[in-house]
Amino acid sequence: MKCEKCKSREANTHIKKVVNGEYTELRLCSECAKALGYDNVFDLEMPDMFGGLLQSFFTGALPARSGASRCPECGSTYGDITNTGKVGCAKCYEAFYSELLPSIKRIHGSASHCGKVPLRAETLEVEVNSAENELKSLKTQLQKAIEEQNFELAATLRDKIKEMEAEK
Amino acid sequence: MSDAVIISSRVRLARNLRDYPFPNRMSTSQGEEIAEKVREVMCGKDFCGYKFMAVKMEDLSEFDRVAMVERHLISPEFAAPDSKKLLITTENEEISIMVGEEDHLRIQVIIDGFELEKAYEIADRLDTELDKKLHFAFDKRLGYLTQCPTNLGTAMRASVMLHLPALKESRTVARIAANLSKLGLVIRGAYGEDTESVGAMYQISNQVSLGISEKSAVENLRSITEQLVNSELKTRESMMQSFEYQDKIGRSYGILITARLINHKEAVRLLSNLRMGICEGLIEGVDLATVDSLMLKIQPASLMRLKGTRLSPEERDRVRAEIIRSELRPR
Ligand SMILES: [Zn+2]
Ligand SMILES: [Zn+2]
Repeated sequence: MKCEKCKSREANTHIKKVVNGEYTELRLCSECAKALGYDNVFDLEMPDMFGGLLQSFFTGALPARSGASRCPECGSTYGDITNTGKVGCAKCYEAFYSELLPSIKRIHGSASHCGKVPLRAETLEVEVNSAENELKSLKTQLQKAIEEQNFELAATLRDKIKEMEAEK
Repeated sequence: MSDAVIISSRVRLARNLRDYPFPNRMSTSQGEEIAEKVREVMCGKDFCGYKFMAVKMEDLSEFDRVAMVERHLISPEFAAPDSKKLLITTENEEISIMVGEEDHLRIQVIIDGFELEKAYEIADRLDTELDKKLHFAFDKRLGYLTQCPTNLGTAMRASVMLHLPALKESRTVARIAANLSKLGLVIRGAYGEDTESVGAMYQISNQVSLGISEKSAVENLRSITEQLVNSELKTRESMMQSFEYQDKIGRSYGILITARLINHKEAVRLLSNLRMGICEGLIEGVDLATVDSLMLKIQPASLMRLKGTRLSPEERDRVRAEIIRSELRPR
């Protein structure tokens, strides 16, 4: 399908929005989408909209190859993921782990989960983990707060950490 | 008095069933299958102490769907009439689950006022119960797996909606935005197309979800919100010293209760001034809840839904003025 704006390039961005009480859809090429301010996180030259956290998902060094050219579960290639801006399925994260990792780190500033872990069979292990996870997260934040010179937040965090370590 | 500034609190969790591809890769029948599974788990009985009902987006009129976007119940993405999209809500719409949005499930809890912890507690409980039946995709390193990597980790967005007329007027919002992003938070206008918020309504939410726990993210947001509320109130105090500003508020009220035609943008701007006038004790006899509900009601699709018919922009301006006059009329 051709882009609805320039009517020449192939459309790859599907925009759904509400304008003045009406639902509208637009199919655009990535260049026209960008010109209208609809960037997706996989875009190469995303403007520094929110101070840089989301910017340029895929800039920098070329990602490492983890070997798989297609996800064994859904058949996505790494190219499919960057073109659409969407990961195909849960298994894609395994299949393209090393390719995705630099971008994930760039977005979140971290690549290790802290927080809720779903209750499955290993209930006990999980409980220990989530307390440890919480502590890990607090410490990372404390570091950050100090760097940002947000001392009010830093003080609160430090108290929390003390409290949690005392409970151990 | 935080309700002068804080409108509502929201927590949203993104979840995907591990045995199905993400929405961009799933077939219509897989999507309908997921919707059916979720409906079976949640509806027709008590679930986590709530009663839920389900509606297919394709069964709703366009006004209904767009009005849902206007009151922030669903995303524009979800307003498409599509047989894979199922909306599950409680009657008061505090809790809603979008099935078939950018992720299989978007669990959302919105509560009036400053209720972040409560909103998270409810969302967390629903998630735990749903996971027992639906088995969500999770990875030890990356957390909950989502279609877009920006949501990995806790896959949680916590946000507060704030009314910041004084910080907007004094042009401090832009500076705040830059500082917030360093803390992993983001501020956006809650209404309107542009970054400049109409009506000084803003939404602040966490931007980062991997490497920070739900609890920490919520506490972070709470502490920043408290700081913003304080600085908004302080700025208001000095702003209200000026006769010019008092005059602006008085005139806004005057126009609202007498106008016969009013467009959406103007109405929101004036209601925002009125809201501040009420909070600062300048205007009496109108309560905040009336103003807040008007803000939602006077949006284009919401007006058409109320009237049950399509209205031209000129007709909408007339109906809008009529509703505002009747609700603000001194009793
Ligand atoms: Zn184009
Ligand atoms: Zn896949």
